[in-house]
Amino acid sequence: MTTLKNNERLSTSFRDPSGFLFARDEKLYRQVNHSYSQDYTFLIESGLYDRLLKANLLIPHTEVGVQPIEPKSAFKVICPEQVRFISYPYEWSFSQLKDAALATIAVQKHALKFEMSLKDASAYNIQFHKGKPILIDTLSFEVYKDGAPWVAYRQFCQHFLAPLALMAKTDVRLSQLMRVYIDGVPLDLASRLLPASTCLNFGLLTHIHLHARAQMRYADAGAVNDRLEKTSRERMTKQALQGLIESLENTVKQLEWKPVGTEWGDYYNMTNYTDSAFEHKKNIISEWVRRLNPRQVWDVGANNGVFTRLASAQGIPAIAFDIDPAAVEQNYRQVKSARETNILPLVQDLTNPSPSLGWHTRERNAFLERAPADMVFALAVIHHLAISNNVPLYLLADFFHDLGKWLVIEFVPKTDSQVQKLLASRLDIFDQYTVDDFERIFGARFAILEKVKVRESERFLYLMEKRD
Amino acid sequence: MNYSPLPYLDPGSGSIIIQLALAALLGLGVFVRSQWTRIKKMFGIKPKQMDENEENDDVEKQ
Repeated sequence: MTTLKNNERLSTSFRDPSGFLFARDEKLYRQVNHSYSQDYTFLIESGLYDRLLKANLLIPHTEVGVQPIEPKSAFKVICPEQVRFISYPYEWSFSQLKDAALATIAVQKHALKFEMSLKDASAYNIQFHKGKPILIDTLSFEVYKDGAPWVAYRQFCQHFLAPLALMAKTDVRLSQLMRVYIDGVPLDLASRLLPASTCLNFGLLTHIHLHARAQMRYADAGAVNDRLEKTSRERMTKQALQGLIESLENTVKQLEWKPVGTEWGDYYNMTNYTDSAFEHKKNIISEWVRRLNPRQVWDVGANNGVFTRLASAQGIPAIAFDIDPAAVEQNYRQVKSARETNILPLVQDLTNPSPSLGWHTRERNAFLERAPADMVFALAVIHHLAISNNVPLYLLADFFHDLGKWLVIEFVPKTDSQVQKLLASRLDIFDQYTVDDFERIFGARFAILEKVKVRESERFLYLMEKRD
Repeated sequence: MNYSPLPYLDPGSGSIIIQLALAALLGLGVFVRSQWTRIKKMFGIKPKQMDENEENDDVEKQ
């Protein structure tokens, strides 16, 4: 979606000496370096690549004759199947992160059978592609060395196990620690934040609490040398390594979180819509989507995705953003049970969207850097932004102008009972929050193509197209 | 990147050492399980279907 700059190395893969991503003619390619040629060849020739493709665990690629960006170091250029939208672990619900962890484990189990091992276990190497978590970094494998421990163990614990344990055992909102720590949650911090009862769980005791202790104890070189001298004859047998992977898998599988007791949990049972109004709203939106046939839809404030599915059911790739991790969790569970392939639920707080992060603030893209979408839904959301969050209408118009080309937006007037609820606890300083002001202010940034009053309600639906 | 407030200390070594410390225990677990499956087989009890395709569906079925 973001316009890719031609022949530019992507700033997301700079740490890996095995190769890097670059863009050309709106397509992403991966240069494989000479230094990685042995591992790459082994991946393909051992049959592991085919096995992972069959299991839908690795992004398929083709080797292409495209001119590499750095010919001196280039072994090959590959073109991976293009992923529609890059999302990050701090935007995933509990089950999304859990499935990403289990996908990583499944990849590692396959790899070991083919005498290879993952050298990275970064959550950022997993993306949701056609409804499922999949490894997108083809260069993550190395030939297994007999007796070697798992080099990606620390990363797996920091990127997956620690945040999952914190979400399940402490508070689901702690997924946001992934936004602060780009290389995953430090284990000593996770160990301190987890309740003491987690020491009774063998997996959490060893992989988090004792792991954190070991990191502190052997952090200084002297202690390491002493210890390594003692263990110089100890090796990690393959059986032990398999045991480690299985232990991680069991620990992850045991972690559960149920989406209850949050803000929007049963939102649709609490709205002021009658059945007939709800159906009317659905019909209007379906009709606009059908007519304009957008390339993709972003539904902001999507709740559990009931309106997002009006687009995805028509075969249009759609993303359902919501602030509430419980709504996103419910949505994702629905995606899984119905095996939906073109809807991606994500956690996003519109009042403080994902920023750009990492080195040079270029490693992870901000929410808006991943825009624009062809069509944006903003349904029953504007009163939250304008009234609960005090954002003036002209700033809302600016924001939506940056977000996409077509805008399907619902105006919820002050007379609406839901807005009355919001106003009950605050001073009404919102003089400009009227239908006329809304149309005037949004009309300056958008051409208003349609306006429909939703039956049996006070609300209006608008179809707008942005002015350049 | 090993983020550490004490830049000359490396959390990576601890991650290796704890694996080596756990190795015997974890290896034993895998060994016992495989022997158990063998014994069950001798008595004609079929092991749970864990062929390759089953395993792949793990993620999906969660």
